[in-house]
Amino acid sequence: MDIRFSDCSVKFKTHVALHPFSLVLSERRIGIIGLNGSGKTTFAKLIDGLVKPTSGTVTVNGLDTVKDAKAVLSVAGFIFQNPAQQLIMPQVMEDIVFGLKAHGLGPAEAEARARAALARFGIEALGPRRVHELSGGELQLAAIASVSATGPDILIFDEPVNQLDLKNRRRVVEAIHALPEHAIVISHDLPLIEDFDRVLVFHEGRIVFDGLPAAAIKHYREIAGC
Amino acid sequence: MLTSLYVEGDTFLHRQRPGAKLALILVVGLALYVTESLTVQAVAAVIAAAIYFSLPIPFREAIYRLKPVLFTIAVLGLINIWLLSPHEALVSTLRLLAVVFLAAAVTATTRIADFMETITWALQPAEKLGIVRAADVGLALGLVLRFLPDIFAHYEGLKHAHAARGIAFRPLRALGPLIILTLKDADAIADAIDARGIRGR
Ligand SMILES: Nc1ncnc2c1ncn2[C@@H]1O[C@H](COP(=O)(O)OP(=O)(O)OP(=O)(O)O)[C@@H](O)[C@H]1O
Ligand SMILES: [Mg+2]
Repeated sequence: MDIRFSDCSVKFKTHVALHPFSLVLSERRIGIIGLNGSGKTTFAKLIDGLVKPTSGTVTVNGLDTVKDAKAVLSVAGFIFQNPAQQLIMPQVMEDIVFGLKAHGLGPAEAEARARAALARFGIEALGPRRVHELSGGELQLAAIASVSATGPDILIFDEPVNQLDLKNRRRVVEAIHALPEHAIVISHDLPLIEDFDRVLVFHEGRIVFDGLPAAAIKHYREIAGC
Repeated sequence: MLTSLYVEGDTFLHRQRPGAKLALILVVGLALYVTESLTVQAVAAVIAAAIYFSLPIPFREAIYRLKPVLFTIAVLGLINIWLLSPHEALVSTLRLLAVVFLAAAVTATTRIADFMETITWALQPAEKLGIVRAADVGLALGLVLRFLPDIFAHYEGLKHAHAARGIAFRPLRALGPLIILTLKDADAIADAIDARGIRGR
Protein backbone atom coordinates (compact mmCIF):
# COMPACT_ATOMS: atom_id res chain seq x y z
CA MET A 1 0.00 0.00 0.00
CA ASP A 2 1.21 3.46 -0.87
CA ILE A 3 -1.04 6.43 -0.16
CA ARG A 4 0.39 9.87 -0.84
CA PHE A 5 -1.10 13.23 0.05
CA SER A 6 0.77 16.19 -1.51
CA ASP A 7 -0.08 19.68 -0.24
CA CYS A 8 -3.59 18.47 0.14
CA SER A 9 -6.40 20.55 1.70
CA VAL A 10 -10.20 20.36 1.89
CA LYS A 11 -12.57 23.26 2.14
CA PHE A 12 -16.38 23.03 2.33
CA LYS A 13 -17.58 26.39 1.02
CA THR A 14 -15.74 28.69 3.42
CA HIS A 15 -15.11 26.12 6.15
CA VAL A 16 -11.64 24.59 6.12
CA ALA A 17 -12.07 20.92 7.10
CA LEU A 18 -8.42 20.00 6.46
CA HIS A 19 -5.53 22.45 6.34
CA PRO A 20 -2.80 21.74 3.74
CA PHE A 21 -0.71 18.69 4.60
CA SER A 22 1.60 16.15 2.97
CA LEU A 23 1.83 12.57 4.11
CA VAL A 24 2.72 9.05 3.00
CA LEU A 25 0.92 6.00 4.42
CA SER A 26 2.18 2.46 3.95
CA GLU A 27 1.75 0.59 7.26
CA ARG A 28 -0.58 -2.38 7.56
CA ARG A 29 -2.65 -1.00 10.43
CA ILE A 30 -3.24 2.72 10.71
CA GLY A 31 -5.43 4.31 13.36
CA ILE A 32 -7.04 7.74 13.23
CA ILE A 33 -8.23 9.46 16.39
CA GLY A 34 -9.38 12.94 17.36
CA LEU A 35 -12.31 14.96 18.64
CA ASN A 36 -15.66 15.19 16.85
CA GLY A 37 -15.43 17.45 13.83
CA SER A 38 -11.62 17.34 13.71
CA GLY A 39 -11.59 16.10 10.11
CA LYS A 40 -11.19 12.32 10.45
CA THR A 41 -14.02 11.28 8.15
CA THR A 42 -13.06 13.92 5.60
CA PHE A 43 -9.49 12.56 5.63
CA ALA A 44 -10.70 8.98 5.13
CA LYS A 45 -13.04 9.94 2.29
CA LEU A 46 -10.17 11.73 0.63
CA ILE A 47 -8.36 8.41 0.29
CA ASP A 48 -11.30 6.81 -1.45
CA GLY A 49 -11.94 9.81 -3.67
CA LEU A 50 -15.37 10.39 -2.12
CA VAL A 51 -14.11 13.83 -1.10
CA LYS A 52 -11.96 15.61 -3.69
CA PRO A 53 -9.03 17.70 -2.46
CA THR A 54 -9.64 21.44 -2.78
CA SER A 55 -5.93 21.81 -3.46
CA GLY A 56 -3.11 19.31 -3.92
CA THR A 57 -3.37 15.66 -4.91
CA VAL A 58 -4.00 12.26 -3.36
CA THR A 59 -2.70 9.06 -4.91
CA VAL A 60 -3.38 5.46 -3.89
CA ASN A 61 -0.86 2.93 -5.20
CA GLY A 62 0.05 5.48 -7.83
CA LEU A 63 -3.56 6.12 -8.89
CA ASP A 64 -4.86 9.68 -8.64
CA THR A 65 -8.15 9.86 -6.70
CA VAL A 66 -9.52 12.47 -9.11
CA LYS A 67 -8.23 11.24 -12.48
CA ASP A 68 -8.40 7.50 -11.78
CA ALA A 69 -11.38 7.62 -9.45
CA LYS A 70 -12.85 4.29 -10.60
CA ALA A 71 -9.59 2.40 -10.27
CA VAL A 72 -9.01 3.85 -6.80
CA LEU A 73 -12.39 2.56 -5.70
CA SER A 74 -11.48 -0.99 -6.53
CA VAL A 75 -8.23 -0.70 -4.57
CA ALA A 76 -9.73 0.89 -1.45
CA GLY A 77 -12.99 -0.23 0.14
CA PHE A 78 -14.90 1.91 2.61
CA ILE A 79 -17.03 0.68 5.50
CA PHE A 80 -19.26 3.53 6.58
CA GLN A 81 -20.28 4.79 9.98
CA ASN A 82 -23.80 3.56 9.31
CA PRO A 83 -23.48 0.26 7.44
CA ALA A 84 -27.26 0.00 7.05
CA GLN A 85 -27.04 2.66 4.37
CA GLN A 86 -24.25 0.82 2.64
CA LEU A 87 -26.09 -2.44 2.13
CA ILE A 88 -28.21 -1.61 -0.85
CA MET A 89 -30.11 -4.83 -1.28
CA PRO A 90 -32.60 -5.87 1.40
CA GLN A 91 -30.97 -9.24 2.00
CA VAL A 92 -27.32 -9.78 2.95
CA MET A 93 -26.57 -12.43 0.33
CA GLU A 94 -28.39 -10.46 -2.38
CA ASP A 95 -26.36 -7.41 -1.47
CA ILE A 96 -22.99 -9.09 -1.78
CA VAL A 97 -23.99 -10.74 -5.06
CA PHE A 98 -25.25 -7.40 -6.35
CA GLY A 99 -21.95 -5.70 -5.56
CA LEU A 100 -19.99 -8.45 -7.30
CA LYS A 101 -22.21 -8.40 -10.40
CA ALA A 102 -21.68 -4.65 -10.57
CA HIS A 103 -17.99 -5.47 -10.78
CA GLY A 104 -18.63 -7.60 -13.82
CA LEU A 105 -18.94 -11.11 -12.38
CA GLY A 106 -21.45 -13.58 -13.77
CA PRO A 107 -24.30 -14.84 -11.52
CA ALA A 108 -22.73 -18.21 -10.62
CA GLU A 109 -19.31 -16.78 -9.89
CA ALA A 110 -20.79 -13.89 -7.90
CA GLU A 111 -22.81 -16.33 -5.82
CA ALA A 112 -19.74 -18.47 -5.06
CA ARG A 113 -17.60 -15.48 -4.18
CA ALA A 114 -20.37 -14.11 -1.92
CA ARG A 115 -20.57 -17.41 -0.05
CA ALA A 116 -16.81 -17.40 0.38
CA ALA A 117 -16.95 -13.82 1.72
CA LEU A 118 -19.55 -14.80 4.32
CA ALA A 119 -17.59 -17.90 5.28
CA ARG A 120 -14.42 -15.88 5.66
CA PHE A 121 -15.99 -13.94 8.53
CA GLY A 122 -17.91 -16.91 9.90
CA ILE A 123 -21.28 -15.32 9.17
CA GLU A 124 -22.79 -17.81 6.71
CA ALA A 125 -25.96 -17.69 8.80
CA LEU A 126 -26.45 -14.00 7.95
CA GLY A 127 -26.71 -14.72 4.20
CA PRO A 128 -30.46 -15.12 3.99
CA ARG A 129 -31.19 -12.54 6.71
CA ARG A 130 -32.80 -9.18 5.96
CA VAL A 131 -30.61 -6.15 6.51
CA HIS A 132 -33.33 -4.45 8.55
CA GLU A 133 -33.40 -7.24 11.10
CA LEU A 134 -29.67 -7.32 11.83
CA SER A 135 -28.10 -6.07 15.05
CA GLY A 136 -25.36 -3.43 14.91
CA GLY A 137 -22.54 -5.98 15.09
CA GLU A 138 -24.11 -8.23 12.48
CA LEU A 139 -24.59 -5.23 10.19
CA GLN A 140 -20.97 -4.23 10.59
CA LEU A 141 -19.76 -7.77 9.78
CA ALA A 142 -22.12 -8.01 6.81
CA ALA A 143 -20.77 -4.69 5.49
CA ILE A 144 -17.17 -5.87 5.93
CA ALA A 145 -17.97 -9.08 4.06
CA SER A 146 -19.77 -7.17 1.33
CA VAL A 147 -16.97 -4.64 0.78
CA SER A 148 -14.09 -7.11 1.02
CA ALA A 149 -15.83 -9.52 -1.40
CA THR A 150 -14.79 -7.37 -4.36
CA GLY A 151 -11.15 -7.76 -3.32
CA PRO A 152 -9.80 -4.31 -2.39
CA ASP A 153 -6.25 -4.13 -0.95
CA ILE A 154 -7.14 -1.47 1.57
CA LEU A 155 -10.14 -1.32 3.86
CA ILE A 156 -11.12 1.97 5.45
CA PHE A 157 -13.35 1.86 8.53
CA ASP A 158 -15.24 4.83 9.94
CA GLU A 159 -15.91 4.11 13.62
CA PRO A 160 -16.58 0.40 13.20
CA VAL A 161 -17.31 -0.41 16.83
CA ASN A 162 -19.34 2.65 17.65
CA GLN A 163 -22.56 1.62 19.42
CA LEU A 164 -21.69 -2.07 19.62
CA ASP A 165 -22.14 -4.08 22.80
CA LEU A 166 -19.13 -5.83 24.29
CA LYS A 167 -19.74 -9.09 22.52
CA ASN A 168 -20.32 -7.61 19.09
CA ARG A 169 -17.42 -5.23 19.63
CA ARG A 170 -15.15 -8.21 20.16
CA ARG A 171 -16.42 -9.96 17.05
CA VAL A 172 -15.76 -6.90 14.90
CA VAL A 173 -12.39 -6.16 16.52
CA GLU A 174 -11.28 -9.75 15.92
CA ALA A 175 -12.45 -9.59 12.32
CA ILE A 176 -10.48 -6.39 11.74
CA HIS A 177 -7.36 -7.79 13.40
CA ALA A 178 -7.52 -10.93 11.27
CA LEU A 179 -7.79 -9.06 7.95
CA PRO A 180 -4.92 -9.76 5.56
CA GLU A 181 -5.77 -6.43 3.86
CA HIS A 182 -4.33 -3.11 4.91
CA ALA A 183 -6.69 -1.32 7.27
CA ILE A 184 -7.18 2.34 8.08
CA VAL A 185 -9.45 2.68 11.08
CA ILE A 186 -11.08 5.79 12.52
CA SER A 187 -12.03 5.08 16.10
CA HIS A 188 -13.20 6.72 19.31
CA ASP A 189 -12.60 3.32 20.90
CA LEU A 190 -8.93 3.68 21.85
CA PRO A 191 -8.15 0.04 22.82
CA LEU A 192 -9.06 -0.94 19.24
CA ILE A 193 -6.02 0.91 17.84
CA GLU A 194 -3.67 0.18 20.75
CA ASP A 195 -1.55 -2.33 18.86
CA PHE A 196 -1.68 -0.63 15.46
CA ASP A 197 1.49 0.20 13.53
CA ARG A 198 0.82 3.91 13.31
CA VAL A 199 -1.74 6.36 14.68
CA LEU A 200 -2.62 9.86 13.46
CA VAL A 201 -4.21 12.39 15.81
CA PHE A 202 -6.44 15.01 14.20
CA HIS A 203 -7.29 18.33 15.77
CA GLU A 204 -9.16 21.20 14.15
CA GLY A 205 -8.37 20.04 10.65
CA ARG A 206 -4.68 19.35 11.25
CA ILE A 207 -2.64 16.22 11.93
CA VAL A 208 -1.13 17.18 15.26
CA PHE A 209 0.53 13.86 16.03
CA ASP A 210 1.80 10.98 13.94
CA GLY A 211 3.49 8.01 15.58
CA LEU A 212 3.02 4.99 17.77
CA PRO A 213 -0.32 4.28 19.48
CA ALA A 214 0.67 4.83 23.12
CA ALA A 215 2.15 8.27 22.47
CA ALA A 216 -0.74 9.17 20.14
CA ILE A 217 -3.32 8.30 22.76
CA LYS A 218 -1.43 10.36 25.36
CA HIS A 219 -1.39 13.32 22.96
CA TYR A 220 -5.09 12.94 22.26
CA ARG A 221 -5.89 12.85 25.98
CA GLU A 222 -3.98 16.11 26.44
CA ILE A 223 -5.98 17.77 23.68
CA ALA A 224 -9.23 16.51 25.14
CA GLY A 225 -8.14 17.52 28.62
CA CYS A 226 -8.98 14.18 30.18
CA MET B 1 -43.08 -1.02 11.92
CA LEU B 2 -42.56 -1.14 8.21
CA THR B 3 -39.13 -2.64 7.52
CA SER B 4 -39.37 -3.90 4.00
CA LEU B 5 -41.84 -3.44 1.17
CA TYR B 6 -41.31 -7.03 0.07
CA VAL B 7 -43.20 -9.60 2.12
CA GLU B 8 -41.86 -13.12 2.44
CA GLY B 9 -44.42 -15.65 1.23
CA ASP B 10 -45.48 -18.17 -1.36
CA THR B 11 -48.70 -16.78 -2.77
CA PHE B 12 -49.79 -17.05 -6.39
CA LEU B 13 -48.41 -13.56 -7.01
CA HIS B 14 -45.06 -14.41 -5.44
CA ARG B 15 -44.66 -17.20 -7.94
CA GLN B 16 -45.31 -15.08 -11.05
CA ARG B 17 -42.47 -13.61 -13.06
CA PRO B 18 -41.71 -9.97 -12.20
CA GLY B 19 -42.01 -8.96 -15.84
CA ALA B 20 -45.49 -10.48 -16.04
CA LYS B 21 -46.56 -8.60 -12.92
CA LEU B 22 -45.28 -5.28 -14.20
CA ALA B 23 -47.02 -5.92 -17.51
CA LEU B 24 -50.23 -6.68 -15.61
CA ILE B 25 -50.13 -3.30 -13.86
CA LEU B 26 -49.50 -1.59 -17.18
CA VAL B 27 -52.32 -3.37 -18.99
CA VAL B 28 -54.87 -3.01 -16.17
CA GLY B 29 -53.91 0.63 -15.68
CA LEU B 30 -54.35 1.42 -19.37
CA ALA B 31 -57.59 -0.54 -19.61
CA LEU B 32 -59.09 1.30 -16.66
CA TYR B 33 -58.11 4.64 -18.15
CA VAL B 34 -59.99 4.04 -21.38
CA THR B 35 -63.26 3.02 -19.74
CA GLU B 36 -65.65 5.33 -17.92
CA SER B 37 -67.94 2.56 -16.66
CA LEU B 38 -68.57 2.83 -12.94
CA THR B 39 -69.27 -0.91 -12.70
CA VAL B 40 -65.97 -1.87 -14.31
CA GLN B 41 -64.02 0.47 -12.04
CA ALA B 42 -65.84 -0.76 -8.94
CA VAL B 43 -65.29 -4.41 -9.80
CA ALA B 44 -61.61 -3.75 -10.55
CA ALA B 45 -61.13 -1.85 -7.30
CA VAL B 46 -62.79 -4.61 -5.28
CA ILE B 47 -60.74 -7.36 -6.94
CA ALA B 48 -57.48 -5.42 -6.54
CA ALA B 49 -58.26 -4.71 -2.89
CA ALA B 50 -59.13 -8.37 -2.35
CA ILE B 51 -55.78 -9.42 -3.84
CA TYR B 52 -53.87 -6.91 -1.76
CA PHE B 53 -55.58 -7.69 1.54
CA SER B 54 -55.30 -11.44 1.00
CA LEU B 55 -51.50 -11.22 1.07
CA PRO B 56 -49.76 -12.36 4.25
CA ILE B 57 -49.51 -8.82 5.63
CA PRO B 58 -51.17 -7.91 8.94
CA PHE B 59 -54.19 -5.70 8.24
CA ARG B 60 -52.82 -2.75 10.22
CA GLU B 61 -49.59 -2.76 8.27
CA ALA B 62 -51.43 -3.22 5.00
CA ILE B 63 -53.32 0.01 5.74
CA TYR B 64 -50.25 1.77 7.12
CA ARG B 65 -48.29 1.19 3.92
CA LEU B 66 -50.92 2.85 1.80
CA LYS B 67 -51.98 5.60 4.20
CA PRO B 68 -50.21 8.46 2.42
CA VAL B 69 -51.48 7.32 -0.98
CA LEU B 70 -55.02 6.67 0.24
CA PHE B 71 -55.03 10.11 1.86
CA THR B 72 -53.93 11.70 -1.40
CA ILE B 73 -56.59 9.79 -3.33
CA ALA B 74 -59.23 10.97 -0.84
CA VAL B 75 -58.17 14.59 -1.24
CA LEU B 76 -58.18 14.25 -5.03
CA GLY B 77 -61.62 12.64 -4.83
CA LEU B 78 -63.00 15.59 -2.84
CA ILE B 79 -61.50 18.08 -5.27
CA ASN B 80 -63.00 16.12 -8.16
CA ILE B 81 -66.48 16.15 -6.61
CA TRP B 82 -66.19 19.89 -6.51
CA LEU B 83 -64.67 20.30 -9.99
CA LEU B 84 -66.52 17.52 -11.79
CA SER B 85 -69.67 15.56 -11.05
CA PRO B 86 -69.92 13.12 -8.12
CA HIS B 87 -70.22 10.31 -10.67
CA GLU B 88 -66.98 11.24 -12.41
CA ALA B 89 -65.24 11.73 -9.08
CA LEU B 90 -66.29 8.24 -8.02
CA VAL B 91 -65.08 6.71 -11.29
CA SER B 92 -61.65 8.33 -11.03
CA THR B 93 -61.30 7.50 -7.33
CA LEU B 94 -62.13 3.83 -7.88
CA ARG B 95 -59.75 3.71 -10.83
CA LEU B 96 -56.91 5.08 -8.72
CA LEU B 97 -57.73 2.69 -5.89
CA ALA B 98 -57.68 -0.29 -8.24
CA VAL B 99 -54.27 0.63 -9.65
CA VAL B 100 -52.81 1.45 -6.22
CA PHE B 101 -53.97 -1.81 -4.64
CA LEU B 102 -52.66 -3.79 -7.58
CA ALA B 103 -49.31 -2.00 -7.58
CA ALA B 104 -49.00 -2.45 -3.81
CA ALA B 105 -49.73 -6.16 -4.18
CA VAL B 106 -47.05 -6.52 -6.87
CA THR B 107 -44.56 -4.52 -4.79
CA ALA B 108 -45.17 -6.72 -1.76
CA THR B 109 -44.65 -9.92 -3.71
CA THR B 110 -41.63 -9.09 -5.86
CA ARG B 111 -38.04 -9.03 -4.65
CA ILE B 112 -36.22 -5.77 -5.27
CA ALA B 113 -33.41 -7.57 -7.08
CA ASP B 114 -35.98 -9.12 -9.46
CA PHE B 115 -37.59 -5.72 -10.07
CA MET B 116 -34.23 -4.22 -10.87
CA GLU B 117 -33.26 -6.98 -13.25
CA THR B 118 -36.59 -6.80 -15.05
CA ILE B 119 -36.52 -3.03 -15.44
CA THR B 120 -32.92 -3.13 -16.59
CA TRP B 121 -33.82 -5.83 -19.10
CA ALA B 122 -36.98 -4.05 -20.32
CA LEU B 123 -35.02 -0.85 -20.92
CA GLN B 124 -32.30 -2.47 -23.02
CA PRO B 125 -33.87 -1.21 -26.29
CA ALA B 126 -33.97 2.32 -24.88
CA GLU B 127 -30.33 2.00 -23.89
CA LYS B 128 -29.43 0.87 -27.41
CA LEU B 129 -31.07 4.07 -28.69
CA GLY B 130 -28.93 6.00 -26.22
CA ILE B 131 -31.92 7.40 -24.30
CA VAL B 132 -31.16 5.99 -20.84
CA ARG B 133 -28.68 3.80 -19.05
CA ALA B 134 -30.85 0.83 -18.18
CA ALA B 135 -28.82 -0.27 -15.15
CA ASP B 136 -29.11 3.21 -13.65
CA VAL B 137 -32.89 3.24 -13.95
CA GLY B 138 -33.02 -0.23 -12.39
CA LEU B 139 -30.77 0.94 -9.57
CA ALA B 140 -32.83 4.08 -9.00
CA LEU B 141 -36.01 2.05 -8.72
CA GLY B 142 -34.32 -0.46 -6.44
CA LEU B 143 -33.06 2.30 -4.16
CA VAL B 144 -36.51 3.87 -3.85
CA LEU B 145 -38.04 0.52 -2.92
CA ARG B 146 -35.22 -0.35 -0.54
CA PHE B 147 -35.06 2.94 1.34
CA LEU B 148 -38.72 3.97 1.36
CA PRO B 149 -39.23 2.15 4.68
CA ASP B 150 -36.38 4.23 6.11
CA ILE B 151 -38.30 7.39 5.29
CA PHE B 152 -41.32 5.95 7.07
CA ALA B 153 -39.03 5.20 10.02
CA HIS B 154 -37.80 8.81 10.11
CA TYR B 155 -41.41 9.97 10.10
CA GLU B 156 -42.21 7.72 13.06
CA GLY B 157 -39.06 8.92 14.80
CA LEU B 158 -40.09 12.55 14.39
CA LYS B 159 -43.54 11.70 15.73
CA HIS B 160 -42.01 10.10 18.82
CA ALA B 161 -39.60 13.00 19.29
CA HIS B 162 -42.57 15.38 19.33
CA ALA B 163 -44.47 13.17 21.76
CA ALA B 164 -41.45 12.85 24.08
CA ARG B 165 -41.24 16.61 24.31
CA GLY B 166 -44.98 17.05 24.70
CA ILE B 167 -45.34 18.94 21.43
CA ALA B 168 -48.43 18.37 19.31
CA PHE B 169 -47.38 16.59 16.12
CA ARG B 170 -48.41 18.17 12.84
CA PRO B 171 -47.45 16.18 9.76
CA LEU B 172 -46.88 19.36 7.78
CA ARG B 173 -44.41 20.67 10.34
CA ALA B 174 -42.52 17.38 10.13
CA LEU B 175 -42.11 17.82 6.38
CA GLY B 176 -39.04 20.06 6.65
CA PRO B 177 -37.02 17.84 9.00
CA LEU B 178 -38.19 14.77 7.07
CA ILE B 179 -36.88 16.17 3.79
CA ILE B 180 -33.57 17.11 5.42
CA LEU B 181 -33.15 13.66 7.01
CA THR B 182 -34.00 12.04 3.69
CA LEU B 183 -31.49 14.17 1.80
CA LYS B 184 -28.79 13.35 4.35
CA ASP B 185 -29.58 9.67 3.89
CA ALA B 186 -29.47 10.13 0.15
CA ASP B 187 -26.00 11.68 0.45
CA ALA B 188 -24.72 8.79 2.54
CA ILE B 189 -26.27 6.22 0.22
CA ALA B 190 -24.84 7.94 -2.86
CA ASP B 191 -21.40 7.88 -1.20
CA ALA B 192 -21.81 4.18 -0.49
CA ILE B 193 -22.80 3.46 -4.10
CA ASP B 194 -19.76 5.36 -5.34
CA ALA B 195 -17.48 3.71 -2.79
CA ARG B 196 -18.64 0.28 -3.82
CA GLY B 197 -18.11 1.07 -7.46
CA ILE B 198 -21.67 0.06 -8.28
CA ARG B 199 -22.31 2.50 -11.11
CA GLY B 200 -20.79 3.05 -14.49
CA ARG B 201 -19.21 -0.22 -15.41
N1 LIG C 1 -20.22 17.93 3.37
C1 LIG C 1 -19.83 18.87 4.25
N2 LIG C 1 -20.22 20.15 4.10
C2 LIG C 1 -19.81 21.10 4.97
N3 LIG C 1 -19.06 20.87 6.05
C3 LIG C 1 -18.65 19.61 6.25
C4 LIG C 1 -19.02 18.55 5.38
N4 LIG C 1 -18.46 17.40 5.85
C5 LIG C 1 -17.78 17.74 6.97
N5 LIG C 1 -17.89 19.07 7.21
C6 LIG C 1 -17.26 19.79 8.31
O1 LIG C 1 -15.88 19.50 8.31
C7 LIG C 1 -15.39 19.30 9.62
C8 LIG C 1 -14.77 17.91 9.74
O2 LIG C 1 -15.79 16.93 9.62
P1 LIG C 1 -15.52 15.38 9.71
O3 LIG C 1 -16.81 14.69 9.42
O4 LIG C 1 -14.36 15.05 8.90
O5 LIG C 1 -15.16 15.21 11.26
P2 LIG C 1 -14.88 13.89 12.09
O6 LIG C 1 -13.53 14.06 12.71
O7 LIG C 1 -15.13 12.70 11.29
O8 LIG C 1 -15.95 14.00 13.27
P3 LIG C 1 -16.78 12.85 14.05
O9 LIG C 1 -15.86 12.28 15.09
O10 LIG C 1 -17.89 13.62 14.67
O11 LIG C 1 -17.24 11.87 13.04
C9 LIG C 1 -16.58 19.49 10.57
O12 LIG C 1 -16.52 20.80 11.08
C10 LIG C 1 -17.78 19.33 9.65
O13 LIG C 1 -18.84 20.15 10.10
MG1 LIG D 1 -16.58 11.14 11.35
